[in-house]
Amino acid sequence: MGLLSAAAGRAEVPVFPVVGVGGRQAAEALWLMPGIRVVDSPRAAVLLVVVGRLTRALLHPTMLVHDQLPGPRATLWWPGAGGATPDDGAQGTEDLLAALPDVVTTVPGDTAGLLAVFADLLSGRRPSGRPALVDVEYPRWRGVGPHGHGGEGMMGGVPFGRPLAEMADDPDGLMLDQLPLRVGPFFPAWPPGLILDVGLQGDVLRGVAVGDNPYRSWPGDEPVGPLDTALFLATRTMATTVAALEVARARHHLRWLSRTLRGHGLAARAQRVGALAQSLSVDDRPVVEALARRLGRDAGLAAATSGVGIVDRAALERVGIDRYGGPVARAAGLGIDARTHDPAYADLGFAPVIHHEGDARARLRQRAAEAAQALSLAERAGEIVRPPGRPVEGPRGVLAPREPLPSSALLALLPDLLDGLEWGDAVTTVASLDLDLEEAALDQSVATWPARTSGGPTGASTTGAAPTSTGPAPTGPAPTSRVTP
Amino acid sequence: MAPFGAAVVVVLAGGIAVLAARWLPPAVGPEATAPERIPFLGGGVPEVHAWSRFHIRYYAMALLFLAFDMEMVFMYPWAVVFAAEGAVALVEMLMFITILLLGILYAWREGALSWAS
Repeated sequence: MGLLSAAAGRAEVPVFPVVGVGGRQAAEALWLMPGIRVVDSPRAAVLLVVVGRLTRALLHPTMLVHDQLPGPRATLWWPGAGGATPDDGAQGTEDLLAALPDVVTTVPGDTAGLLAVFADLLSGRRPSGRPALVDVEYPRWRGVGPHGHGGEGMMGGVPFGRPLAEMADDPDGLMLDQLPLRVGPFFPAWPPGLILDVGLQGDVLRGVAVGDNPYRSWPGDEPVGPLDTALFLATRTMATTVAALEVARARHHLRWLSRTLRGHGLAARAQRVGALAQSLSVDDRPVVEALARRLGRDAGLAAATSGVGIVDRAALERVGIDRYGGPVARAAGLGIDARTHDPAYADLGFAPVIHHEGDARARLRQRAAEAAQALSLAERAGEIVRPPGRPVEGPRGVLAPREPLPSSALLALLPDLLDGLEWGDAVTTVASLDLDLEEAALDQSVATWPARTSGGPTGASTTGAAPTSTGPAPTGPAPTSRVTP
Repeated sequence: MAPFGAAVVVVLAGGIAVLAARWLPPAVGPEATAPERIPFLGGGVPEVHAWSRFHIRYYAMALLFLAFDMEMVFMYPWAVVFAAEGAVALVEMLMFITILLLGILYAWREGALSWAS
């Protein structure tokens, strides 16, 4: 047994990441760490890694995911990723420590610590993590009804604890069951924090609603971590070189590309692109150009993304995204780009890259081409410095003072875009929009970028475009209640 | 009986192996807790049972398959007389297949081959 557990302790560590506020980058870095395998379901994981700070809305999902890891299991917490410390007084953070007493707190990216916890766990030196929820099924169904499975009558009661689905119209004129599901916030194919309330008829999505943003559910849940567009947001007060901005843009698009390739099941390519993004410099321009060409020609990707999730001009105008521009709008033929009128780019001969199809494939090619273009601009920009304060073209669109951030508008696209799609196409579409729930959370908060104006919270102007939840509140009646210590 | 002895042994051994694989782990290992039995939805809980009736969208494809499967039946007698009849048989079969091909192109155009339309 000793030999066996020692050998098991040296195996690849299956890790399921739970991404809190500010944790996205550190969680994605897990993919590139040697000896670690990021898995798509807690059932396949041994370690749960909580990255960043938790809000109260994320607490119950985290506890449930924790209890869904089969033993032996352990939980690591990397609070530093969100710029938070264990004692910064955040409510969700205190609750996490109370709910998961066995949590090991380390610094983000501490691979050695992670491997040590895994080896200790498998050798039996560390006990398996205690459950956070009580082991009770709700509602009660065992022994209920004539056959003891909770069902009775024509409509079945609550077989195995749950009512049966209601019927709804099918596109072919049939009345068929529509299974309502709330997917997220830790669903690996979604961006972290995205909750979608979907109705499923077979594998076709009907009636999609975006759930409350868990990064911003209660007053006081301020996003604290740096956004992945932090450098672009900082340009309001800070002079930056054009070269630095453009390399950051290329890195952003390559990281998106890496996530997307992984979503399409191309893990090895995703790994290479992710590593390239991590060490990106101006000298990588030929590599990125070759990558963009190869991706544009890739027949498999083309088959998976062509004609999927078409965002047309009307949809863009409906959610007000035509004001933001960004790769999604440019992939649909709208040539809006803040760099066109930016004096810092005047001598660089900048012209926006445009695709016209507006589908997931156009967005993939758009971002790959923009990454290559950004490096080419960075190469030519030399030491050109951009003065602070002007609207800047961020990786998702224009970041202008007193305007909402692009992620909110992109989120508002989802309900219409996903309705009627098959599940696989829906996943492709969501990935192709490059959503960031933290950016959207920042937008909904009173501290809308750049700053609160005297006229009241500028974030209020976005509530029209901001998605609202039609589902139950995240803290609604839980099937399993917490263990009271 | 002797020729079937080995088969009986294999079937019995296979059945025992399947039953053992089915019953042994739950009997020996710990029982899954209530949270472990909940399907993984990214941190949420399904509120409705997944026993639902949904549209089997491949029925149109299944009908098309049957039609072209029957076409093959006509090719068996044709293959028998093909050598004797020669080029005439070839031309006749090409005409037959062309007509069917037009049918599949029509079905394609009408969207019968798309999974969810």
